[in-house]
Amino acid sequence: MADEAEKKESGGWLDKLLAGDHEAFAEFVDKYKSQVFLCCRTLGLREDEAEDVASETFLAAYKAISRYRGQAELSTWLWSIAYRQGINYLRKNRRMQQLLAGPDGQAANGKQARPAAAVQDKEQEKIVWEAVKKLPRLWAVAVILHYREQKSTKDIAKIMRTKQNTVKTYLFRARKRLQELLADVIGEETDVGR
Amino acid sequence: MSADKLNKEKLDEMLGHALRKHTEQVPADFTDKMLRQIRESQEQKILARVVLEERLALAGCIVLVIIAIAATVVLPSITGSLTQQVEGFVDKISKAIETIAWELNFYTIFMGAFGFAVYYLAYLLTGDGW
Repeated sequence: MADEAEKKESGGWLDKLLAGDHEAFAEFVDKYKSQVFLCCRTLGLREDEAEDVASETFLAAYKAISRYRGQAELSTWLWSIAYRQGINYLRKNRRMQQLLAGPDGQAANGKQARPAAAVQDKEQEKIVWEAVKKLPRLWAVAVILHYREQKSTKDIAKIMRTKQNTVKTYLFRARKRLQELLADVIGEETDVGR
Repeated sequence: MSADKLNKEKLDEMLGHALRKHTEQVPADFTDKMLRQIRESQEQKILARVVLEERLALAGCIVLVIIAIAATVVLPSITGSLTQQVEGFVDKISKAIETIAWELNFYTIFMGAFGFAVYYLAYLLTGDGW
């Protein structure tokens, strides 16, 4: 019953959003802004750049929302816009080479520093995020979409406008690299678990 | 279960757990800024539409004048006969107005005289009692 009410309410909100209602759009921005910023930052944009690209993303979403037909999840639809805006920004600023290289064009090498004691949640989150940041940008986006947003490879391929096999390759390579980078943390976790 | 597989499972679990917790800093006034930008873009859109309509109207007037000039130069026979037709039409209208005005005067005078005659005839027959 509560689910139905929630669905109905969310349906009403979506209708308002599709009709261009400003309040509904404000709610939409509040709900998804962190994901859009995350997409921008994962693509290697600085904070100020991320804000500009996020604004462009929401403006583009506002203009295109009336054409949203619900074929994909709203978050998938928005991620695809954010991703495209981010890529366009990098292309405009001639920084496309960053996408398949690590941060600042360096290859991602070197293991994470071993934590002193059992890794705390916050610390673990930080270490994992630092490791993800060392991945080539496209791999990092695929990792975020897969592990954080729990998107299927089909949806990730749609967002990144690539083939599903390419996404699988990104994820495979990213996992392998992360395994190396986080070897100590995983080992310690396993030891603690025993 | 091999150690490698265990590590892979551990890695998947750790990545999911840690990344779901991760959030990026978003400026506090971002939503307000967005709404402001959207309002501004809508205003600009309306302004652009008004400017476009005005330009189209002006262009329409200019094109009409150009067409009229071009027609008199390129198609004198058509425009000539058209001018004659228009002039004829104007003549007919003015003649019709003149005729109606003359007839109207005639009828007015006639009706005035008729009314005067009827009034005094009735007065003669009935006297003050009418």
